Amino acid sequence: MAKTYDYLFKLLLIGDSGVGKTCILFRFSEDAFNTTFISTIGIDFKIRTIELDNKKIKLQIWDTAGQERFRTITTAYYRGAMGIMLVYDITQEKSFENIKNWIRNIEENAAADVEKMLLGNKCELNDKRQVSKERGEQLAIEYGIKFMETSAKASINVEEAFLTLASDIKAKTEKRMEANNPPKGGHQLKLTEIRTKDSWLSRCSLL
Amino acid sequence: MDFANRNNTANKFVCPSDRQLALRAKLKAGWSSSKTNEPLRPEEQEAIISVIRRNEEIEIAERQRVGRLVERVEKIKLHAVERGPNCCRLCGDAFGLLRPQRILCEDCRKSVCTKCSVDINIRYHNSERTREIWLCRICSETREMWKKSGAWFFKGLPNYDMPVRSASAANTPMSTPMAGGVGAGGVGAYAGAGAGKGARAVQSCHGTPARGARIKKLTIRVNDSSSSASNSSASNSSASGQSEPEEDQLDAAKSSTAAGAAGQRLQRDESFRLRAYGSIRSFIDGGERKLSNSFLFGRQTNSRPADGQDYDNISNASTVAQLRREGSFMRRSSVSSSWSFSDSSGSGNSATQNTQNPQQQKQQQQQQQQQQQQQQQHCRDPLLGWLELAISYRESFHSLDCTMVRARDLPAMDASGLADPYCKLNIVTPEGHTKYTRWQRTKTVHKTRNPDFNETLQFVGVEPEELGNSLLYVALFDDDKYGHDFLGAAKVCLSTVHSTAQYRISVPLGVEDQYSNEAELSQSWPNGKMLISLCYNTKRRALVVNVKQCINLLAMDNNGSSDPFVKLQLKPDAHKNKKHKTSVKWRTLNPVYNEEFYFEASPHDLNKEMLILTVWDKDLGKSNDFLGSLQLGAQSKGDRLQQWLDCIRLPDHFHEKWHSLASDNPTH
Repeated sequence: MAKTYDYLFKLLLIGDSGVGKTCILFRFSEDAFNTTFISTIGIDFKIRTIELDNKKIKLQIWDTAGQERFRTITTAYYRGAMGIMLVYDITQEKSFENIKNWIRNIEENAAADVEKMLLGNKCELNDKRQVSKERGEQLAIEYGIKFMETSAKASINVEEAFLTLASDIKAKTEKRMEANNPPKGGHQLKLTEIRTKDSWLSRCSLL
Repeated sequence: MDFANRNNTANKFVCPSDRQLALRAKLKAGWSSSKTNEPLRPEEQEAIISVIRRNEEIEIAERQRVGRLVERVEKIKLHAVERGPNCCRLCGDAFGLLRPQRILCEDCRKSVCTKCSVDINIRYHNSERTREIWLCRICSETREMWKKSGAWFFKGLPNYDMPVRSASAANTPMSTPMAGGVGAGGVGAYAGAGAGKGARAVQSCHGTPARGARIKKLTIRVNDSSSSASNSSASNSSASGQSEPEEDQLDAAKSSTAAGAAGQRLQRDESFRLRAYGSIRSFIDGGERKLSNSFLFGRQTNSRPADGQDYDNISNASTVAQLRREGSFMRRSSVSSSWSFSDSSGSGNSATQNTQNPQQQKQQQQQQQQQQQQQQQHCRDPLLGWLELAISYRESFHSLDCTMVRARDLPAMDASGLADPYCKLNIVTPEGHTKYTRWQRTKTVHKTRNPDFNETLQFVGVEPEELGNSLLYVALFDDDKYGHDFLGAAKVCLSTVHSTAQYRISVPLGVEDQYSNEAELSQSWPNGKMLISLCYNTKRRALVVNVKQCINLLAMDNNGSSDPFVKLQLKPDAHKNKKHKTSVKWRTLNPVYNEEFYFEASPHDLNKEMLILTVWDKDLGKSNDFLGSLQLGAQSKGDRLQQWLDCIRLPDHFHEKWHSLASDNPTH
């Protein structure tokens, strides 16, 4: 019997080629780092099970190729992702500017309420920095998403980033399911909300 | 930076829009026309495929996990008693003064007792305040299932595999591979059977009275076929024409491509029953055991027409065994026809039955009328579709496991030509009674006429000796908020079910009978029913709605009664009709109104509009309580749709029907 888990979250890493998506994932799943650059072919994924609030959450993290020639393959995986990590390289201005385009890509291909997060990778290379932390924060605020500077090499914030994203998704789950829209029939979400048979007193207090 | 001024077509980051794709399609250069990439190298393809394979493993595990979650909820649901508003939905305890406290579940609005419910704290998004709500166990588990399966995110349950029962693990019947394996035979036959939409449309001319006619209409509507041939040659295709294609049929059945051949032949003969027969034939050709059983019904009605009840005749195992022997014999000696479906054709009987023993023939002549009835039934068999099921018996537990595998070609129930089918099962004893008071039911498979149920239901307490003379009765219904409409029913003789091997058959679905009515009645409608009469008045160009009466409404006031009235509204309303209300009938649960209301509308408008009726309990001093709702319109299903369409099609006539009330309020 396979290891049981309570939730399965599918996450996705996107960003320009060479920003360190694969390294971030390698750090998170294996806690290791590899200095040789091997470009990802198309797609890959890694699994790691974490625990949040006594719930076992299996994270299936999809690593995508940043190269454009794989874009048709990688975009196919946007739709199933519950959370997306946008990664840029703080030592490369270009990769930061492209974040806008990646976000547009998400908007066009991913589910509407996908949880997003912005990561500025390679923050250990402070002397080669081209993108300041403030600019990253500013962009994140602009899109209303969370931001972190990470380093896969020095193992800074990688774990935190994934845990944050996972807990955000989990919080969303609970919010969604414990709001007033219960599932109907186990197959489709019920759109018409049932008005509770409250007395007028309590109804007043609600409004 | 070079992204700033790029227009869409050149933006390599964003997938092309529909318009761009359309333009590219015209260029016939395909998706990648704007890209200058080289195709993937073989090693790259391999790498990607290996990743996809790995992902598949995870998906399978995930599907099984979701299947377990679903199963858990379904199990609880199956054990729910559902005795109405005055008893706990789950355990059936009645509420009273000293009895358990009644709690209304937040989600399903049904009453449950404290034992069977959980309270959860809800935090509002924008405040720190929390509110306690109660959920019955079914709904809390359903919520949990939605959370854990990811259904909340994808707005629907992902695909799942129901877990395999441990007992039947030996021959792993319900898992997907097997379903696929058998499907090869079954689906092959279906492919032949469904040889073209036209064929299906033609089938509908078999429709005869009552229910059949209704379904026929719906089918015709959906397929947009002409109903010209209706009720014609179905029951009186000539004797000469009958026997010939039949031989033909048998030859073909021997060949491995029987299904396809049958499909072709169909276009030649006019008898569609033969087609169905051919496809069955090819499907069961492999195993004699299967054969004997799937034809038992055809057989038994033919061979001993003495009593009305089928069950009396097969009540002892020896008869059944004999039938089986005959069946297998016929299969070898081919042309003799009494076991085939085609022999149900009326005038064909005398010719084809000649090879049968004379006594039987005599009996049949005596029982002309009954025969006729059976013929109609047989004629309509192909119309109602097919059900494939697998049965196994576990002697040690005395339990009969019935797996509803799939159904095919079910009648359409809504305007888009789809249905939401589910099965109800029971066992019919030799005396002709249902063995269990509670019907087992499968989940509903939504929006399809070809559902894959793949669900196993267990009947516990079936003695081995009972198997010999009992029947499994399966009725298919269409699931809808406002009533469940009959789709088809099948009976399977259990005498051939052995304790060791699983046993699969495909059976044609027949018309409704006393058992299906019983199954229909077993569905409880806690919100009561309403009798509505609709008429389109061509003079006034208005829809006349007559609210006749309601029965069994919910009691909302402390005196155990309600003060019901009905609100009516048309939506979306092109003519700005005002909403209407009936008078209030004080202190009753079965109010009789007989009040008429006019809604101005053109017949064309009515095709888009929806009549919404809501029943309310009039309360003085506080807001009215909601009692139930009903929606009628072109988006309705089954009986509701039928009434609505009849009303448009046959104006100036009243069309009256009972409908069940649903518990949710559509006007909110």
